[in-house]
Amino acid sequence: MTSGQSRMRLAARLHRVMLAAYPAAFRRRFAADIQRMFEARLAGARGRGRGAAAVFVALECADVAWGGLLERFAPVASHASPTPRKWRMSVETTMADVRFAFRLMRRSPLFTALAMGALALGIGATGAIFAAVNAVLVRPLPYARPAELVMVWSNNTNAALPRNPVSAADYVDLQTMNRSLAGLEAAQSFFAPAQFRDGAGEPLSIQTSQVTAGMFDLLGRPPVLGRLFQPDDQNVVLLSYGLWQRRFGGDRAVIGRTVDINLQPATIVGVMPADFTFPYRTMLGPSGFSRAQFADVWQPLVFQGRFYQNADGSLVRQVRGLGLVGRVKDGVTTSQASEDLSTIAASLAKAYPASNAGWDATVLPLHEQAVGTAKPALLLLLGGVSLLWLIGCANVANLLLARSVARRNEVAVRRALGATRWRLARQSIVEGLVLSAGGGIGGVLLLYAGIPALVALAPPDTPRVSSITPDLTVFVFMFLLASATGILTALLPAASAAQSDVQAGLKDAGRGTTLSPARKRVRAALVVGEIALAVLLTTGAMLLVRSFVSVMGVDPGFSVDRLLTFQINAPRLPNPAAFQEYYDRMFTALDAVPGVAATGGTTRVPLGSTNVTTQVSIEGRDIPAAQLPEVEFRRALNNYFVAMGMPMLRGRSFTREDGVLGVAQPACVINQAMQQRLFPGEDPVGRRVRVGPNPQAVWLTIVGVVGDVRHGSLEEMPKSEMYISGHLSPPSAPYIAVRSHGDPGALAEAVRRAVWSVDAQTPIYDMKTMAAMRSESVAERRFVLTLATVFGVLALFLATSGVYGVMALIVSERTPEVGVRVALGATRTDILNLVVGQSARLGLAGIGIGVAGSFVLAPLMSSQLFGVQPLDAATFAIVPVILLAAAILAAVMPARRAMQVDPVVALRNN
Amino acid sequence: MPFRAADALLPLTPIAFEILLALLEEDLHGYAVLQQVEQRVGRTLPLRTGTLYRALARLLDTGLIEEIDAGDRAARTVKVHEDDERRRYYRVTPLGRQTAKAEALRLEDQVSAARARKLLPGGKR
Repeated sequence: MTSGQSRMRLAARLHRVMLAAYPAAFRRRFAADIQRMFEARLAGARGRGRGAAAVFVALECADVAWGGLLERFAPVASHASPTPRKWRMSVETTMADVRFAFRLMRRSPLFTALAMGALALGIGATGAIFAAVNAVLVRPLPYARPAELVMVWSNNTNAALPRNPVSAADYVDLQTMNRSLAGLEAAQSFFAPAQFRDGAGEPLSIQTSQVTAGMFDLLGRPPVLGRLFQPDDQNVVLLSYGLWQRRFGGDRAVIGRTVDINLQPATIVGVMPADFTFPYRTMLGPSGFSRAQFADVWQPLVFQGRFYQNADGSLVRQVRGLGLVGRVKDGVTTSQASEDLSTIAASLAKAYPASNAGWDATVLPLHEQAVGTAKPALLLLLGGVSLLWLIGCANVANLLLARSVARRNEVAVRRALGATRWRLARQSIVEGLVLSAGGGIGGVLLLYAGIPALVALAPPDTPRVSSITPDLTVFVFMFLLASATGILTALLPAASAAQSDVQAGLKDAGRGTTLSPARKRVRAALVVGEIALAVLLTTGAMLLVRSFVSVMGVDPGFSVDRLLTFQINAPRLPNPAAFQEYYDRMFTALDAVPGVAATGGTTRVPLGSTNVTTQVSIEGRDIPAAQLPEVEFRRALNNYFVAMGMPMLRGRSFTREDGVLGVAQPACVINQAMQQRLFPGEDPVGRRVRVGPNPQAVWLTIVGVVGDVRHGSLEEMPKSEMYISGHLSPPSAPYIAVRSHGDPGALAEAVRRAVWSVDAQTPIYDMKTMAAMRSESVAERRFVLTLATVFGVLALFLATSGVYGVMALIVSERTPEVGVRVALGATRTDILNLVVGQSARLGLAGIGIGVAGSFVLAPLMSSQLFGVQPLDAATFAIVPVILLAAAILAAVMPARRAMQVDPVVALRNN
Repeated sequence: MPFRAADALLPLTPIAFEILLALLEEDLHGYAVLQQVEQRVGRTLPLRTGTLYRALARLLDTGLIEEIDAGDRAARTVKVHEDDERRRYYRVTPLGRQTAKAEALRLEDQVSAARARKLLPGGKR
């Protein structure tokens, strides 16, 4: 469904809901006709543009709602069943209450602005975070009956790695032997970059995803154009909606056209819908050649080639590169499917011990796989913003309470004239609702500004981040939230109005500025509560700040400054010797650029790429194939270690001789982590290892041990890595590292020219300094930190203004008392201590409760912390000091006013 | 007596009068009534669906118009805009005709008074 059609459906639904305003008899007669006419006229209005249509819908719905109410309560003819008099009175008095509330608000604009502002902040911020939670975590995935879909991994119990891709042979066995799944399909567990040519225009770099022919049928989404894959399809391709728009302008004649993908022809057979994403980046395995987020095209996965087929044509079992998606049968649960597949995995382990011993299967809901990583951070933010909302509510409740005191005599007069308690309470609630309605509208405006900002700030890795929009669910949530806010903030003033003492109120005509002791306690409790909540938020924010500082302080194992990196696609050359020559010339050109200290290349640059792993056999150790240790595998070109600033701890690095093709003793370098894991306490130099369990593979001699680096992120511990010379086995899309003497950014142009001097067609992309890359690698942490800090600052601000408001009131209440004290000889300092002391007492009470709460709640944050304990001493010491300072600061101005009290005036007015 | 009953329902609201005018020519269903009225006075009298149907309900209840049975439709000269049996057709009753005439006479009288006071051109005291 297009977005236009869904908007029409939404408008029709809204109109139908509004029809409920009419009485039942009227509805029986006319509702169907009215709805039908509305929809017909809406189609006409749409033809005049979206704006005209929106205005039309608004006016029609308003007319229906208003007309319906009129029919109910003020019918001209008696065809409607007569509504009880009470109902009509109710509506009229509520309208009167609303009008009264508006009058009150107009009379005290500052108060109204403050209250609505605080509410708008709370409601808007909560709405924005809720929209994110809704879009990322709650909304179902864009597949048919998504709750039935599961993700299947292989579970390497030998190395405690539960989410490993699956091999082709294991996939086929799981597919044929399972009894719990209605279908099981496979996708490559990574995106593969490719060159896309369609005859018109420049070649385009795209991301491809290969899936088995039945995958999209399993997911249950039909294409918007053309057809899906069929079982024997080869050399065909499905386009993503985005690519179809970008490259073909949405041309519907694209079906049947032939394009080139990596110089292989492929026929376009279909286009997938705009909201369709598969696989999500979070569904990919740890390996991968790029950090792309979406597939641009899909191709059928065929089990051919050396990753999938053995020499004898049987399917490969020990190379694992597939992610599996399954749909459970009717009535089958995920855990039942998990048991079923585990049983099959166990039988495979018995049948093929060399490759499968110790390998189990992991099954989890697809939704959790897609969004599970984002859950802790988002829920933390939702919790934080809810606290902010509560502080806003407490603030406004205090404001309303203060104002209700000022109106005590008005309330008393109304009671004397016969108003019931409920009537008075209702008026307070209506006032609260009107205020919160205004706050809600302000919150919606904030939402429209806030959501784009949120999306822009969010790390690009966040799953489904582009689908965070304000939609009906969000608006319903905000409506409910605003209503709850109105009722919550009005509860205390309502109770206060209902319990007012008529006699006292009438006697106190004119001033009425003192509160009963009970209400004073309530007021103090509200402020103490605000401070406690502010303590919670500030503590959380400070823990995150310290974690961030910790992460940025991590030594990545290489030198971050003065390092420029980029990726290239080497030209398609016929043989390794040609590649060698190409790289020789390129590095010579790069080394010659003035300002360059050292250059090198690698297949995986730290903090900027994913991984590829391999199993290694160690000479002299007899380990069954299934239990061979797994290490990260990298290739190093030129002076990679020097360029990166990675220290050689033992032995030597690669030399020119190691890169000569056909060298007698091929060399490899391992890192310290691998040495400590596989050769603890020994000198590994001189030992030999082999990649994979294949006995025909060549032995590599360890020539050196290099220092560890943090590869995936600064927070991950270094893993075992081994490097071979990239000149022996030249990569096609390496990352190049250039260490400069000065500013690395200044070399960008010269470096590009150097690369193009060797081959003018070489695509260069993702050129950035390592400092920028490090900054990007902590994008998610920075996102959560930024929001948490904003919440913390806002909470501090709201709490401080809450304290200020209350202290100002208290000072004005105690003016006579201050006058007496001054008359009896108190100095200005004594008065200052009096006021500030009271504020400090409130502050300390709030801080005490807040700190106790933090003790309980901070451990819930542990997943977001790094290098700092949840009960971090420094944080728990600093935050109370900040809050106490805020409470004292808030009392300064009221205190000064108190110090200027003239005892004569004060006593006279008593 | 019918005339007296018609008198009792004056003055008609502008929208009720327009609906009667539209139906005087031929029997119409709801959407057609709306279109006719919109054509005539759409610019000065914005017509909301809900308001239209409330006015229709009023006219039905006071007996100025009636709903036509589906069978009846074929017997009269009814312009069938769409072959849609679910649509309700409305017909003006004799009372409605008289009331519309009475309203028109009332308006004419008012307009004459306005002309006489030179509010509109063409007046004679």
